Amino acid sequence: MMRKKFGALLAVVLAAGLSAACTSDSGDADQGAQPGGKVELSFWAWAPNIDKTVDAWNAANPDIHVTLSKQAGGGDIVTKLLTAAKAGNPPDLAQVEYQSLPTLVSNDVLADIAEQAAPVKDKFAEGVWQQVTLGTDAVYAIPQDSGPMMFYYRADEFDRLGLTVPKTWDEFAQTARTVRQKAPKKYLTTFSANDPGWFTGLAQQAGASWWGINGETWNVSVNDAATKKVADYWGGLVAEGAIDKQPMYTPAWNKALNDGTLIAWPSAIWAPGVLAGNAAATKGKWAMAPMPQWAAGENKTGSWGGSSTGVTAAGKNKAAAVKFAAWMNADPAATALLIKESSIYPAARDAQSSPLLQEPPAFFANQKDFYTSAKAIAETASGFVWGPNVNVAYDTYKDAFGKAITGRTPFSGAVDTMQTATVADMQKNGFKVAS
Amino acid sequence: MSTAVTGRSRRGTAARGVPYLFLAPAIVLFALFLLLPIGYAGYLSLRKVKVSGLGLGRNSRKEIFAGLENYRTALADPELWGSAGRVLLYGLTLLPVMLGLALLFALLLDRPRVRLARFSRLAIFLPYAVPGLIASMLWGFLYLPAVSPFTDLAGWLGLPEPDPLTGGSVFFAIVNIAVWGGVGFNMIVLFTSLRAIPGEIYESARLDGCTEFQLAVRIKIPLLLPSLIMTTVFSLIATLQVFTEPLTVRSLTNSISSTWTPLMKIYRDAFAQNDIYSAAASSVLIAGVTLVVSFGFLRLVQRQAFGGEDR
Amino acid sequence: MTALATSVPVHDDVDPAGPRRRPGRRTAWLPTAVLLIGAIYCLLPLAWVAAAASKSGSSLFTTFTFAPGGDLLANFREMSGYGGGVYWKWLLNSLLYAGVGGVLSAFVSGLSGYTLAKFRFPGRGVIFNVLLAGVLVPGVTLAIPQYLLLAEVGMTDTYWAVLLPNILSPYGIYLARIYAAAAVPDTVLEAARTDGASEGRIFGRVALPMMLPGLVTVFLFQFVAVWNNFLLPFVMLSDDDKFPVTVGLFTLLNQGQAAPALYSVVIIGVLISVIPLIALFLLLQRYWRLDLVSGSVKG
Repeated sequence: MMRKKFGALLAVVLAAGLSAACTSDSGDADQGAQPGGKVELSFWAWAPNIDKTVDAWNAANPDIHVTLSKQAGGGDIVTKLLTAAKAGNPPDLAQVEYQSLPTLVSNDVLADIAEQAAPVKDKFAEGVWQQVTLGTDAVYAIPQDSGPMMFYYRADEFDRLGLTVPKTWDEFAQTARTVRQKAPKKYLTTFSANDPGWFTGLAQQAGASWWGINGETWNVSVNDAATKKVADYWGGLVAEGAIDKQPMYTPAWNKALNDGTLIAWPSAIWAPGVLAGNAAATKGKWAMAPMPQWAAGENKTGSWGGSSTGVTAAGKNKAAAVKFAAWMNADPAATALLIKESSIYPAARDAQSSPLLQEPPAFFANQKDFYTSAKAIAETASGFVWGPNVNVAYDTYKDAFGKAITGRTPFSGAVDTMQTATVADMQKNGFKVAS
Repeated sequence: MSTAVTGRSRRGTAARGVPYLFLAPAIVLFALFLLLPIGYAGYLSLRKVKVSGLGLGRNSRKEIFAGLENYRTALADPELWGSAGRVLLYGLTLLPVMLGLALLFALLLDRPRVRLARFSRLAIFLPYAVPGLIASMLWGFLYLPAVSPFTDLAGWLGLPEPDPLTGGSVFFAIVNIAVWGGVGFNMIVLFTSLRAIPGEIYESARLDGCTEFQLAVRIKIPLLLPSLIMTTVFSLIATLQVFTEPLTVRSLTNSISSTWTPLMKIYRDAFAQNDIYSAAASSVLIAGVTLVVSFGFLRLVQRQAFGGEDR
Repeated sequence: MTALATSVPVHDDVDPAGPRRRPGRRTAWLPTAVLLIGAIYCLLPLAWVAAAASKSGSSLFTTFTFAPGGDLLANFREMSGYGGGVYWKWLLNSLLYAGVGGVLSAFVSGLSGYTLAKFRFPGRGVIFNVLLAGVLVPGVTLAIPQYLLLAEVGMTDTYWAVLLPNILSPYGIYLARIYAAAAVPDTVLEAARTDGASEGRIFGRVALPMMLPGLVTVFLFQFVAVWNNFLLPFVMLSDDDKFPVTVGLFTLLNQGQAAPALYSVVIIGVLISVIPLIALFLLLQRYWRLDLVSGSVKG
């Protein structure tokens, strides 16, 4: 009985293996060439519920089938992409944060899709498009979402404590001190040594420029004056105890948001989704305003996060892959699904005026003009050139700032450490770096 | 135990091949999934990436021979030495506590007139079923002052709020996770060894007026010594490889660096900084050190376990 | 199962105090109390999971840690429905990796341990030492080279990529060798040989049944090791349909900064993922020979 079953099973497995081998063989030879032949694409992504958008594509396009694999987000997917590309079997498409694009391009993971992507170029604002060209003639991905930074605060707590929304970082510091005086158990916000992307956004707002290209040479200035100014500003607040210093995205941080221990969060446009998940108890109590400015009357912000859809160089069906990526990020039906199901703020211009964005996010029901003001803020986001080893700079950020917080040393020292590590890594790999 | 007799007397060449045939699966798997990867790591450790130009064009990144450069960098890295020292300290803290508790619990379980022993035994053993990643996450919740029940408890007792994730105490927070995960397993090992000791030995001692405490110290512990040595050795190996717990807890605190233990440094190099060449060099170095440790270990194992079997 | 039950040294699982308890003596309170404190210490985080699993997402971080909530069923439904029931797929995958890996590992370990214990042949000591040295190589250092090598033969992102590297267990071979030396008498093997049985038959029909209790231990160790493994499947697999529970839950916790970690799903997922292991412990503890770890098996 057992034996018979096992035999049958073995036969099935073998047959499946053989047929799989056959189809993939023939597929290699004539995919793309034969009209009507079905194209199979694999896609790695982490955005929540992005499967709904992929399903919609598959329903409408029987000849190009996309298979989604959900991955862990952020930096983890980059490591897996690099390893998979090195081994020669990356997916056809992948969700990639903007800051990881140079790393992936430099490792030959992503294809130049300038030609195929040309038709959708004008669907995106110039600043956004620049992020996927890296300032060259090539195009390495289709922008998906962007993360302009804004200031989120608990409107009810601000009222109760008699606070006004800080317009400048000086006012922000003053507000932080007032919170400590009036409600010693509360903090205005926290400085997180675990979130380099957040700090980078803050530095961008101050005008930081960490990488630059000069002919065949990279300029690296992670410790430029703007970044040091931002670092020491936050370091001062932490040192005097005006703000908290716990990392973000921990259970303790969730609780602090939930119970009103932390009453403000400089974050990005996707914050409502995070707050809804992490601080459900505070629904309707938050409001959004532009970031505090370094000089009164200025109007600038940075970006935190935001991602794109890259097409890999090893993929066999680049044309079909770009078709899918362009549809997903520029077609109104697709971006509507992304907004609704994955709660992202689309990078495509038309999508930003989608009827879905006329209503504020449910978590911010009181702020009717949420997306109108968000759109205005988004246009003030500074551009930024990412270097080929953002991963090293980011990883060093965590260690260096963690150390500076626990050792009570100046934050500008941590920025210097980031600079040293970033330059050393580039030199080790043979990049020409101007000092 | 009599000396084993092989088939040499009867079937000549065919029989002589049998042991090798039987060992073939293990040897093949060993070669494929241990030796080959180690060899490959050794090869990678001698290589590095060379970028030409801006590194953005196609094929601008080449893998070249690096000689011993990766090893020199690793050996000159103060972080590697620091993390090695920390693991040493970690082992010296963890092993006595974990094995001491395991021994204590095993001896208590073996005592007469203990109530609820089956319940306690299962309860103490349960953490073995929890993956290190998840155990660290759970303890992380209990460590964070804002969500920890100990904060409330300390509040009721009028004690200062415990904050195990800051400063030096994070070291003990990690040790605690390892103790929690390991004490039950070692307890069961020691307890089972105790159960293998014939009960008559105790009866006569008890008749001589031995207390249970004296019985434990004078008779049971000496008899347990071989088992204790073995559990120590296996725990020691696990200790040198500590990695999951600090890596998971790291996201909750500012006090753990990415190179807190040697394996974390390898993980950082390979996974966060995408430098598999440096990671390979550090791997080879660590494999070398553990191999040296292993010689002592193998000697010990063979004396303990197979002393009587051979000769 | 019948083979297991009839095979020899089943460990007694009665209350250890039972046979030695003297009637009319009082409970030993201090040892009982110390053990109970140990039990509470070990159950504490698990009690936390159980309590937290019954809380809604919003009360998870706002109510007293050990106070249970009333949303166990709602959380359970949310977890079951997440990604079209992908959690259950992860659980089945874990069972497959750990179960098949454990059985194959026990068989290979048994065969090798038996051979090393019962045959004399040139190279025996060297082979054993080399195999055993494998216990000293940490998985982290192997994961990427293993991935790159398996990619060469196109086997990454398959079930094999997680199964095959997990079959060889140096520790299992070590245990099987001790057990074979103690539990399989040479006289029995000699008698079988005199009857003209082939070596393969002797192992399969004579030695293997005698070694079964020891191999159950090897199976359990390997089962737990594979079940708890995170890094290897994390590196090897990209298709989330093939993830084991550990990797699956990890992806739910790390969704990037723009999405909240799904704590309520993860927590009930953790609670449920511990249940199969507890069931396995309880089921197999009759056959479980842990004493062979310490080499104290009596020959």
